[in-house]
Amino acid sequence: MLEWLVRGLRHGVLTTGYPRETEPAPAGFRGRVAVTRAEGGSAALERLCPTGAIRVRSGRVLLDRGRCVLCGACVEQAPERFAFVADYETATRSRAALVVGDVGTPAPARPALGDRRWTLRRSIFIRHVDAGSDGAEEWEIQALANPYYDLQRLGLFFTASPRHADVLLVTGGVTSPLREPLRRTYELMPEPKAVVAVGSDACSGGFAAATGEVAGGVDQVLPVDVYVPGSPPAPVAILHGLLLAAGVVTGEAPA
Amino acid sequence: MSARPERAQHDALTSVLGGLAAEEPGAPEGERRFVLEAQGLARAAAALGAAGGHFAGLFGCGPEPSAVVAVVAFRGELVELRGRLDGERAYPSLAAATPAALLPERELHDTTGLVPLGHPELEPLLRPDADRPQRRVAGPQTFLIPYGPIRSGVVEAMQFPIETGGEDVLAFGVRPFFKHRGLERRFAGMSLDHGAYLAERVAGPEAVAHARACARAAERAAGATVPPRAERWRLVHAELERIAAHLDTGAKLAEDAALSVGAARLGALKEEVMRLRARLCGNRFGRGVVVPGGIRNEPLLVPAEVAAALDALEADLRRDRRLLLGTASFVDRLVGSGTLAAETVTRFGGVGPVARACSLGIDARLERPYGSYPRLGFRIARATAGDAMARWEVRLQEIDQSLHLIRQALESLDRLPPELRVPVAGSGEAYGWVEAPSGELVYRLRIEGSTVAEARIVPPALRNWPLLSESFRGDVLTDVAFVEHSFNLSPAGSDR
Amino acid sequence: MSATLAVGVAGLAAAVPLAARSPRLSAAICASATGLLGVVGAATAAGAARASVGIGSWLGFGQASLLSDRLTGIFLAACGAIGACVSLALAERPRSRMVAALHAVVLLAACTVLLSTQAFVFLVGWESLTLALYLLGSSDARRPGALAAAYAATGATKLGGASLLAAFGLLYARTGSFELHVWLRDAPELGAARSAVFVLLLVAFGSKLGLVPFQGPLPPLYAAAPGVAPATISLSFLAACYGLWRLVFTVLAPGSLWWGELLVALGAATALVGILSTIAEDRIPCFLGWSSVEHAGVTVLGLGVALVGQAAHLRLLAAAGLLAATLHLLVHGVAKALAFLAAERVVEATGHDTLAPLGGLARGMPWSAACFGLAVVNLAALPPFGGLVSEWLTFMALLQAFRLHDTVAELVLALGGAGLALTAGVGLLAFVKLFGGIFLGRAREATALAGPDRPRLGSGALAAAALALGPIAPWEIRWLGRGLQGILGFDPARSAVSFPLVLGPVYHGFSVLSPTWLAAGIAAFVAAIVPIVRVLRPPVRRGPVWLSGTAVPLAAVQYTPDAYANPIRVVLRGLYGFRRTVGPRRPGEVAVVRTWLVPAFDAYLYRPLAAGALAVAGRARRLQSGSLGAYLLYVLAVLLAALALIPALAR
Repeated sequence: MLEWLVRGLRHGVLTTGYPRETEPAPAGFRGRVAVTRAEGGSAALERLCPTGAIRVRSGRVLLDRGRCVLCGACVEQAPERFAFVADYETATRSRAALVVGDVGTPAPARPALGDRRWTLRRSIFIRHVDAGSDGAEEWEIQALANPYYDLQRLGLFFTASPRHADVLLVTGGVTSPLREPLRRTYELMPEPKAVVAVGSDACSGGFAAATGEVAGGVDQVLPVDVYVPGSPPAPVAILHGLLLAAGVVTGEAPA
Repeated sequence: MSARPERAQHDALTSVLGGLAAEEPGAPEGERRFVLEAQGLARAAAALGAAGGHFAGLFGCGPEPSAVVAVVAFRGELVELRGRLDGERAYPSLAAATPAALLPERELHDTTGLVPLGHPELEPLLRPDADRPQRRVAGPQTFLIPYGPIRSGVVEAMQFPIETGGEDVLAFGVRPFFKHRGLERRFAGMSLDHGAYLAERVAGPEAVAHARACARAAERAAGATVPPRAERWRLVHAELERIAAHLDTGAKLAEDAALSVGAARLGALKEEVMRLRARLCGNRFGRGVVVPGGIRNEPLLVPAEVAAALDALEADLRRDRRLLLGTASFVDRLVGSGTLAAETVTRFGGVGPVARACSLGIDARLERPYGSYPRLGFRIARATAGDAMARWEVRLQEIDQSLHLIRQALESLDRLPPELRVPVAGSGEAYGWVEAPSGELVYRLRIEGSTVAEARIVPPALRNWPLLSESFRGDVLTDVAFVEHSFNLSPAGSDR
Repeated sequence: MSATLAVGVAGLAAAVPLAARSPRLSAAICASATGLLGVVGAATAAGAARASVGIGSWLGFGQASLLSDRLTGIFLAACGAIGACVSLALAERPRSRMVAALHAVVLLAACTVLLSTQAFVFLVGWESLTLALYLLGSSDARRPGALAAAYAATGATKLGGASLLAAFGLLYARTGSFELHVWLRDAPELGAARSAVFVLLLVAFGSKLGLVPFQGPLPPLYAAAPGVAPATISLSFLAACYGLWRLVFTVLAPGSLWWGELLVALGAATALVGILSTIAEDRIPCFLGWSSVEHAGVTVLGLGVALVGQAAHLRLLAAAGLLAATLHLLVHGVAKALAFLAAERVVEATGHDTLAPLGGLARGMPWSAACFGLAVVNLAALPPFGGLVSEWLTFMALLQAFRLHDTVAELVLALGGAGLALTAGVGLLAFVKLFGGIFLGRAREATALAGPDRPRLGSGALAAAALALGPIAPWEIRWLGRGLQGILGFDPARSAVSFPLVLGPVYHGFSVLSPTWLAAGIAAFVAAIVPIVRVLRPPVRRGPVWLSGTAVPLAAVQYTPDAYANPIRVVLRGLYGFRRTVGPRRPGEVAVVRTWLVPAFDAYLYRPLAAGALAVAGRARRLQSGSLGAYLLYVLAVLLAALALIPALAR
């Protein structure tokens, strides 16, 4: 056991300082897609996206980040209009805010957990439920426990019992056999609680939305507080989403 | 390929199948196609299995469907037995002779309504009811622990109904298909590129393997040849994915054994690999790299940088694994847990590290070499005990082999022409197979023009799930986590 | 006092034939008669004048009478109180005339044993007790295995009876009289025969108590007896212990050190065997029967310490052991009778006498659950109840081993203490399994309850006693002290009960326990907390049990009693002979699990003995040739042998 202790100490501190310090994404990282030129779009642009995230409304190009799976087909085919941004902070508090270029007013979001109960500002217990994801989001959420991110230093803990949980972390657009178990988990959580949808599948159903096997996103089953788009979102992005739900950070993703 | 081995193979196959099936010419290299009546499918598959064939998968093909297809790996070739239905809705089940066909036939029955006659266990498989697990054991005062679909920890949704008499596991049930998203159907009508993007999202941790299999199937159907530089980079990504998956297994096992520092070390190493992949292509899972015809973009790092990162990784890993294998509290939990016999693995058609840990030399990179593997040297990983420790040892050997392969690929890059991609267009149908981290993955694509008409996937997890159930002989409840993580199968992959 | 005694005995004697007419009336008369006898016993033990009823010498073995002195008073009070409550329970629901009559016979026989001053009366009482127990066990012949169980149990106790006869014969031969007070006077002159008498008496009373190796047949006897008969059978425990107290501790005292050591070792072994068999048992009456075996072991453990103290001339140690054992006897008697009554209620209401199909009965049978719970907390020795007090006193007595100067005795007492500790721990598990398996959780098989669960007088009185025996322990011990003064020579309660209501082992200042204050404190705490919690309770929302997101019926997923005891059976599978096999697993089929136990005692002692006995019987059958000439020859041979022996013995 002593050898393990020595081994652990030799590597020093690996942990990121996020959110106190900024954590820059590596160059070329596909964090989110930005619409560099929104005007003058044609309907042909809609066919570029395999999940239907691009919509052209009266010549204006709208990109639904909740549907975008970051495949890069639009950037490859129309680089003058779309570009990747190497950014981690992609979470938003409402579904409408995920649609880039939409000038409508977003729906009012529920206050963050920390605002609803002061004692939850610095210590949140998280219950993760897989409602039909592809497994990549689980890897990224598990990565939050490794020494690079170490979510426990921020007062975030994973729990197995819904009765102890404050935040429900859902991945996957909800498949029909998992709908009822997901709802039961939500019912068992005490108030106040928050739901964070992680991944594009959870925001909109992703590729599977067109097959009819999934509900089309977690918000079709439960009220969602924070949306973290991405396929899958990077661990820092998930951390940003959790801290947004807790009320520790307030900055949502820029347009 | 010279004609002489082909004739020898032809004799072996035709001598086994005899008058049972007729060969259809025109299959791409490495595949053989036979057509027969669906009524004779069971006999033909049993004959191939008795002659040493390894059952791979079973699915329906065509509208309605019009044929039941069984795929068998036989002596370095993938043999497709296409049983025509001719309007019938039932066919003799293969499951009686080949237990590996139990799950695929149930899935086929659920999706299409085709009845396998004589199937011993025809219950609904897709969209299972979490509240009604099947009891497999009857006895005084045995009770059920319905472990799942929402399990403790950050894990995928899957139900394991465990029947126990107090502490020992009397029967370990495996119920996949809670996450069935119908993705096979979604392929229809997509462009080839979009198909590859969809394939990456069937099973996230094996994204590169799925994309490669899908791309290979499309390339073989259209008759396109991928440039060698692209093949090398594909190999680099695939082997990095394998290393990450095996490190993930190790981290989970160390966490189960309550070795916090070990789990943290392996988790940190896995994070290093993921960050390397992000620096290499912009995505931590290698998504958006493999497209039909080659790779999409030039990598963002030069080979020297990649090699340097891997050297640092290997040095760290060497010390950590030596410490891990010397920790008795870790090793003791794995030795003797979840022991499988080679005969069981063969009967159920198991693949991947699970099969190699029972001293079966099954690896698609060696049986039916693809990509750059024929040009680079590597050894197949093997262990004999068949328990959780053997599976971990196999994974450690595979990490070594993967590092060796990546280094060879990186060194050979400067001798290759710079072309990265060729166009893929055409019509046809073909199989694409790769060795994913958890075993052999097979895609079957029928393309028309540049769109996918029909796709079928045979994931390795679907072939290995019955083995997880069979591996519990005399283990207790506390061993469940170790055995399950030593298999490390992906429910998303098997459920599609 | 004597008149009351006579009325009580006469009442019991009258109740026997009355049962043929009206079992209910007979049971009621039993209740009042035993109640009277209990009052007599209590008064006599407290120091009132002796009560006696003379029988005269017409039996031909010397003067005989039924006498209640201080020691007898203790046992008579216990037998009376418990017997009265059981009779009341019987009066409420008389099953059959046979059972009512036999109940009266058992009470009469037990009281005869307790009151007799002469060996012949003692023997008559003892053998009647054995016979009555056999008839009780075999009264419901339709039960599977009842006849065999009764037969086996009686066989063991007959062996004990023969041993008792031999002991009395030996004592008569040495002292020339059958009267107990003569034996008491002449005991020091017995010489070498004393140890022989001790062993014979130990076999006699041990076979009735269920000491190792006689423990096997006893629990099935409890299972074989119908209705409240098991509670009646548990009264024989008191009679057997009285025999040990009176004949071994009083008459044969003081003995050698090895007597006490043997008793301590046997007691610890019996307690361990008993509790390990308890936890593996699935049938409720057998479960409680094995618990009786365990508590017999604990009682004998205390008595063993008393004998060691007596032999080492440490009268405080002897008093400590005897006080502990006597208190344990009383508490166990009350708790076991209560447990049997409540169990009988459960078995009758559900129709099942095994734990497997039961569960969740607390809602449907709250009174039975409360009674059973009170019995169980006493048997499992939980504070602040009486079971804890007696077990604590036993532990304290064992801990005094350091006062001895004999290494072997110290070692044996230390090992006895270790055995007792292990027994107490496993005992807790066993009773959790029993109570939880019957009353808590959800019903594993839905059974309709026959009849409502009303509070009853008999079990209610016993339940009140079980509840109170802990908190009123100081007064009990004072009363016991006066009762034991007769045989100890001093009142141990002087030093056992100190500063108001605090108990200690007889050695002053060694250790303290106060169940009275503890009970008062718990009651005050609960009374203070409950209103506060009621007022300050935050809004509560109830949700279903979390089962990994499923809604599988709870009855299928809860722990079964068998599974609860499984770890111990697996760890000690050598002792239990535990085997579990699973049938071949084929797809689409349900595999069958088989579990079976062949305990070590069964495999290595009883079965070979039974096989040997059957072999000998087979050989002996040849003697029954049926020919008159052979039989006359046998008579002649026996006559000649007797004629030869008598002069040799008459020397």
